[in-house]
Amino acid sequence: MSNGDKKRAQAKQVVREQLARERRRKVTLWTTVGVVTVLVMAGLIGWGVAAGQEKANAGKLTVPPAAVDDGTAFARGTGPVQIDIYEDFLCPFCRKVETAIGPTVTQLVDAGKVTVRYHPIAILDHLSSTQYSTRAAGASAAAAQGGKFFEYHEALFAQQPPEGGAGLDDAKLIEIGRSVGLTDQAFADAITGKTYTAWATKVTDTASSRGITGTPSVLVAGTKLDSPTPQALAAAVEAASA
Amino acid sequence: METRTRTAWPWISTAARLGLAAVWLIAGGLKVGDLAASGRAVNAYQLFPYEVAKVIGAVQPFLEIALGLLLLAGLAVRLSAGLSAALLLIFIAGIVSAWARGLQIDCGCFSTGGELGAGADPAYGWDIARDAGFLLLAGLLLWRPRTRFSIDGILMGDGQ
Repeated sequence: MSNGDKKRAQAKQVVREQLARERRRKVTLWTTVGVVTVLVMAGLIGWGVAAGQEKANAGKLTVPPAAVDDGTAFARGTGPVQIDIYEDFLCPFCRKVETAIGPTVTQLVDAGKVTVRYHPIAILDHLSSTQYSTRAAGASAAAAQGGKFFEYHEALFAQQPPEGGAGLDDAKLIEIGRSVGLTDQAFADAITGKTYTAWATKVTDTASSRGITGTPSVLVAGTKLDSPTPQALAAAVEAASA
Repeated sequence: METRTRTAWPWISTAARLGLAAVWLIAGGLKVGDLAASGRAVNAYQLFPYEVAKVIGAVQPFLEIALGLLLLAGLAVRLSAGLSAALLLIFIAGIVSAWARGLQIDCGCFSTGGELGAGADPAYGWDIARDAGFLLLAGLLLWRPRTRFSIDGILMGDGQ
């Protein structure tokens, strides 16, 4: 190979490398643009889907007339000190707390010292295959319309299904209602017709917007109890009425 | 030896790429079915106003799935890895801040109650360790973005 040939080959090589570099730069630029576009679009889709779901939910919303507190809770008693209880019917710890403080709450209500507001929220839908939390909260609203929220609420906790299973079906929810005296057709229809499903979601969102991040949450006069024992509850009510 | 590591790297990176893709697809897939719950989970960290948390909660699963698909396809791997790392750092910062403030949050979702007891919650440590592991995958891809079976490889046209 002559000297000239060698130089020509080298020059060709340099040009080829330059072209390759140029090509890489272009590919990198365009893939970057593509990726950013895809991510922005994904974000917009998420936003749109969520807004659509919220709107659809708002359209289906039926607020039970018996509800208080912006239509998100059911009250018991008429005393001056306010107790707010946020609970999920699928939450085992809620059941435990309910069993522990239930008698004290009843005493306080009977003594005319407190107003209890029950907020049946649904944050454990992912722990049952049938969205039991939402269905049970909706059923409790139907029970409230029948004037039996508290009795039904107790019965639901007494027959609480385990987390991770199928939950109780609608027929069982209706049957539990019958056991506490909810025998009218309106109650059964509200459950099978999912009348208060959207409402359960609204109660849950309202709780979240208030910073309620777990269940059970027991608040006395707006202050959350760190550990909701009967003693702590009675002491907090005492302090609030002083 | 030299050549053997050079040929091994693309395979290691490929494993990291597919692993990270799976992480995002699973993470996003678990949340995408219940966007309201995803928003509440963000809100539980109490870092943003509720309305903002709801938007983040809605956008996040779709972003995660998009990142997962990009990594799966191997498109702009270095950029996707960089964004993954940024996202993971944000998550870790969120968990650390929740831990530091003593918030009771389970795995980014609602807590199931106070049964965790007072003091340190071991789940936070595990969550951070898990995210740090994913961060390692992203870091590896940032450092060695060349992988097998990727769109990047086809576009660059050099067989890699």
